[in-house]
Amino acid sequence: MIESSPVVHKFKSACLLVCLLSVVISGCASGKLDQARKNFYSGQIDQASGALSSAEDVSSRDQLLYFMEKGVILHHAGDYQGSIDLLLNATALMKDQEVISAGQQTASLVTSEWLTDYKGEYAERLLVHTYLMMDFLMLGDTEGALVEAKQALEVYDTYPEACSGDYFTRALIAHCYEAENEINGAYIEYKKLAELMLDPLPVARQLCNLGNRLGFNDEVEHFRQFLPEPALKEKGKRGAGELIIFVSQGKSPLKIPHNIVLPPSIRFSFSTYEDRSGYLTPPTVGPLAGAGSSDMITTDVGEILKASLKERLAQIIIKETARVVAKEAIAHNINDDNLALLVRIFLFLIEVPDTRCWETLPATLSIIRVPLSPGSNQVHLNVMGRNVVLPPIDITPGNGPFYHYYSIRDGNGLYPLPGNSQSGN
Amino acid sequence: MFLNFFKKSIFLGFAAMVLFMMIGCSATTRDLSPDEAIHYDEGYDFSDKKAIVSDLVESLLNKPPLVSRLDDRPVLIIYGVANRTSEHIETDGITDDIRQEILQSGKARFVNKVQRDNIQSESDYQYGGNVSAETRLQRARQVGAEYMLSGTLRSIKKKQPKQFRLTKRTLQYYSLTLELTDLQTGLIEWTDSTEIVRESSQPFIGW
Repeated sequence: MIESSPVVHKFKSACLLVCLLSVVISGCASGKLDQARKNFYSGQIDQASGALSSAEDVSSRDQLLYFMEKGVILHHAGDYQGSIDLLLNATALMKDQEVISAGQQTASLVTSEWLTDYKGEYAERLLVHTYLMMDFLMLGDTEGALVEAKQALEVYDTYPEACSGDYFTRALIAHCYEAENEINGAYIEYKKLAELMLDPLPVARQLCNLGNRLGFNDEVEHFRQFLPEPALKEKGKRGAGELIIFVSQGKSPLKIPHNIVLPPSIRFSFSTYEDRSGYLTPPTVGPLAGAGSSDMITTDVGEILKASLKERLAQIIIKETARVVAKEAIAHNINDDNLALLVRIFLFLIEVPDTRCWETLPATLSIIRVPLSPGSNQVHLNVMGRNVVLPPIDITPGNGPFYHYYSIRDGNGLYPLPGNSQSGN
Repeated sequence: MFLNFFKKSIFLGFAAMVLFMMIGCSATTRDLSPDEAIHYDEGYDFSDKKAIVSDLVESLLNKPPLVSRLDDRPVLIIYGVANRTSEHIETDGITDDIRQEILQSGKARFVNKVQRDNIQSESDYQYGGNVSAETRLQRARQVGAEYMLSGTLRSIKKKQPKQFRLTKRTLQYYSLTLELTDLQTGLIEWTDSTEIVRESSQPFIGW
């Protein structure tokens, strides 16, 4: 039992004040992140980037969010190298955060999760590598993209339940192998994707092409049955070039706070994801002049974020229960009834659910592969009801297949696009 | 009684904290030998680069075809080392070191592929009218490469499975394979590889 004396009182009050201030400060520090997100969604990319001019603008506990949010902002501003630099910092930080901080965990046990470093949901950790892959491909650095693809595979292996629904990233991984002419690796990843997806049609064409090159005749015959009749007739026509478009649509879900209150002062707090975008019409590609049909693979970002939170559910419940027990123990050990009441009120109020999340992520990520034929190729795209006309792409016969990349968000405001990259195969 | 003890404890705690911060925050530097093998984690570092380059250059210089070419110095061109690891490794550093060691051995020469555009630019400048005919370089006198040196750096990473433990172990394997291809015949005349296997452990809990 703690003795009640004026000095002890003052000491306790000071501790409470420090705790209160730290919670208040942690709330204020995310102000610049919020401003950047607001600017980003209103189409003011430069202002969004400017709002996060340096890492010091954001609390040390939210550094990962700083790298992730600004990485996406710079990606859509066309500054792919800047985005790479930031997202590589994010991956380095995630590696450092694998060591659990005893100090932060202890402090958060009597306050709230806001006092700990934000470590990112499992799907967010995967999506850092996804954006890095896109950035490297936009710069034509297929070797760098393949390095990220391998790191993304490690995340898939570590969190299989949470990440298995991310078809976009898996398709990007397969493409990174393909772009570096590692066709065996590409075939393996496309095949995994075909097994995961309900309909293997979007990857059947790649599996047939790569299977032919690898001499997997039985498997080629198996995957050919998924191809529609026109696609079977295209055999031999494809291969002059390919346009690969990364389409981001809508806004990812946000974490919403929830509380369960048990009298007199027990409060369980937690957060769940809530969608911000309604139904989004999938992007479509206009008629192609003789080169064949396009393939599209989409990830519902909200689904994988929700799956990630669900996978952490047991961990969250254990931590929340421990916090309730710790707070009750503190309140019980105070002899002074008035002080105990104040402490209970304070501990009750600071029990705030952690709603931090990567907010500049889209609701859906789609990869569209458009075959290009020799000559000038004009591609029309419909994203969120807006017609986007890409600049003509000239394909010279005999120059071998080339990949041309575009990254588009919502089809508005950001066009004409700053980035159109190409890489040889 | 309790009050005195409480005050003393606070004072001692504060003093210990200041002392700890002073020791922890003081910046130090020291020079190290580049030949010293130092590893902070299981990842690729400069010590690995030195070790793999040294192994492979020794093999290249002491095996055919280079060992049998005592009278002339064959001309080589480096086509880079492909990075197939899961780390962003600048493999140009490996090829630069290989070229340096082979050149210093005096057993082969290299075409400067990286500077080709600059060589062309300088050649164009010399023929642009500003350089006297006596001192300008002669065109079509560059030497063609006889062999192409290329390679692949690979890695395999294995983490210890999830179980109750205080440290996490990681096993990292690297292999660098180099090959020398005769540009006329397309035959691989020499190939060798060197490997590094390293285990590291990291605590789960820190401060």
